[in-house]
Amino acid sequence: MSSNQQVISYADLSIINSALRSISSDMSGVNSELGTLNFKQDQLESELVKLADAFADFVEADLKHKALQLAETRQGNLKQDLQIKFGYYAEVRRMATGILQGVDTGVVSDETLKFTTEEVMIKAPGYWLAPALVALAAWVRSDKSTNEKALNEALKRDDYKTTLFFMLVMRRLTRNDASLKWLERYFMHQNPHNLDREFIIILEAVTTGVFPPASRQLMMINVKNWLDQLTQGDNFINEQKAQWVRFFEAKGPLPDGKYPLLEKFATNWIDLASSMRFAKTHGVLQSHFNNIFSATSDFSKSVKVQLDEILSLLVTNFDDEELPLQEQVRLNQLIIQMDGDKKSAQAMIDAEKHIFNEQVDFLQMLTNAAFNPELAGATKVTQALAVSISQPWIVEAHDTFTGNSRNKIPATVDLNIDGFISSTKDGSDEKEQVEKHETFWGNVLQTELGKLSFPTGMVIIGALICVGGLYGFTINPIVGLIGLGIGGVLIWNSINNHNKAKKAITENIEERKTKSKEVLRGCIAETVDFRKEHSTEDAKAEGLRQLLTSITAEDFSSVSKGSKSILQTN
Amino acid sequence: MARIILQNDNINLDTGKKETVSTGFISDRDILKKRSKKYLDLIAGLDAKTLTDTKGMGELMKAIQEEFGTAELTSLPLGIVSKCFLGHPYEVHTLDLSGSQIIKHYKTTETMEADFEKARTVAKHNAYAMVEVYKDKIILVREDGTATKL
Repeated sequence: MSSNQQVISYADLSIINSALRSISSDMSGVNSELGTLNFKQDQLESELVKLADAFADFVEADLKHKALQLAETRQGNLKQDLQIKFGYYAEVRRMATGILQGVDTGVVSDETLKFTTEEVMIKAPGYWLAPALVALAAWVRSDKSTNEKALNEALKRDDYKTTLFFMLVMRRLTRNDASLKWLERYFMHQNPHNLDREFIIILEAVTTGVFPPASRQLMMINVKNWLDQLTQGDNFINEQKAQWVRFFEAKGPLPDGKYPLLEKFATNWIDLASSMRFAKTHGVLQSHFNNIFSATSDFSKSVKVQLDEILSLLVTNFDDEELPLQEQVRLNQLIIQMDGDKKSAQAMIDAEKHIFNEQVDFLQMLTNAAFNPELAGATKVTQALAVSISQPWIVEAHDTFTGNSRNKIPATVDLNIDGFISSTKDGSDEKEQVEKHETFWGNVLQTELGKLSFPTGMVIIGALICVGGLYGFTINPIVGLIGLGIGGVLIWNSINNHNKAKKAITENIEERKTKSKEVLRGCIAETVDFRKEHSTEDAKAEGLRQLLTSITAEDFSSVSKGSKSILQTN
Repeated sequence: MARIILQNDNINLDTGKKETVSTGFISDRDILKKRSKKYLDLIAGLDAKTLTDTKGMGELMKAIQEEFGTAELTSLPLGIVSKCFLGHPYEVHTLDLSGSQIIKHYKTTETMEADFEKARTVAKHNAYAMVEVYKDKIILVREDGTATKL
């Protein structure tokens, strides 16, 4: 067997080896070929991806382009449609502005007014503005019967818009009785659960005295009715109350770092700090409300501008009938603007629609105006009015806020100073605290010293060596002396070390105690200040409450027009 | 100068926006109505009088039921916590209405029953005459009788 193996190994291995080597070199050749191939394939793939991307881009661009073209065509068609169906509406609107200006200045003759408005009436059937203009022209030339007929028609076509239109026109022409009548009708249109956007401006106009003085009385009556309606249930009021409470909570000032020791050593500092923040809120709120009621500037001018804006929007804006068509025109316009991007155009038009659909209930509108008049489209005067109307639930919200924060006043200040745990109510117990502190550190010293064991072993060993030394005297006095010496040194050394350790511990504890006492005293002093400041700030709640309860909505309506401060606090 | 043009009696005003008013549920308004002076005085007088005799106690209960307009124990507070003016060490006292109807004075260090304890901090506060404790809420009553729900 073994000789056979040897024969084979000697005979064949070299040939096989060389064959294997050549195979392996071939393989490496193949490998390198494969590598190039892989590389080429990667290249090809990336090219393909590029191509696919380019294609996708092309398709998208093409789609956009087509959408753009389609939008352009459609817009043209829609505009034509609009022109055919409602073309006269635009003319009426243009004319309305002209007629209003003519009535304002009085330069257009009654005959012209009569003729043009009647023509408009024929040209734009179904549009409320046409009979409204006829009525206006008839009113100017004192044609009562035509006026009434036209008015009835306008109201039939669109009661709300006609009301708003005449209310604003009469206000412009300072026809007090008439504008008051229209205002009354306008209020009847309003649903306190769902107020229109422009209501705040009307409210503002009445508040600032742009409308005749009697309008205030009218408004207050309406407002009272609405409040009665809305405050039947708890929901509306509780909702506003909750908002006010959140508003109060957010008004708290930032911490001022006045109590550095308590911040570091009071374990309930977070509660203490938030309690202080709540207490300090009252002062901030007091100046906030004072500020609202100290507004003296005259806003009636800007309100008049706003009213005219409503009027011009009313006569220039599209009518409800046209709206679906106009919206489509707007969508296509946006698509063109977005270079054919349909999605973003749709998103934009949705956002636009949302703004115009915004309707709020009366209480919410008051709250908005009271929180942020600028954002709600009102001035400080309306803010003051809103606050005075909301007064009952503002007081309630403030009571809740105060009650809540008082409920959370920490009863004690809990301290942890270097292991000394204690709590003090108001820092008046300094003597007791210091005594407690003394006892605590006395105990600490005792336990620390207790941990240090007396070196009994070493002393015994030393003593034994000493005894050995005494015994050594019998052999040799020198050996005895050495023994005694070693023993003595051992005993002395260990006792000395022990005393040193004791001293170190005592000194260390003494030092910690002194520091801790300083901190304790500081904390107590800060606690006294903290409680003092807290109760001062907390007491401001009562002052604020008085201010809030003294506000009454009635004050507002009794002050005559033109007086600077419309709202007064008692 | 003003011309009367608005003889609009014949115009039918129909805004179609009439709201239905919900009725028949117990509102917060009822719970938060102003407490009467009589009731406040009665509770404030608890320190002075001892009320050991049954007649005094009965009168007190009657007045409370009158105040809340019901004799049903479920809609009455569990009890009333207010600041105790007996002086140190007494801090607050409770009037337990849930059945035993006992007045109890608590020292600074004593803890009250869990339901009452939650009213302790506010009851101590000078701004409130008393605190009515309910199962699910507490109501703070000021000296002038106004109530706040917490």
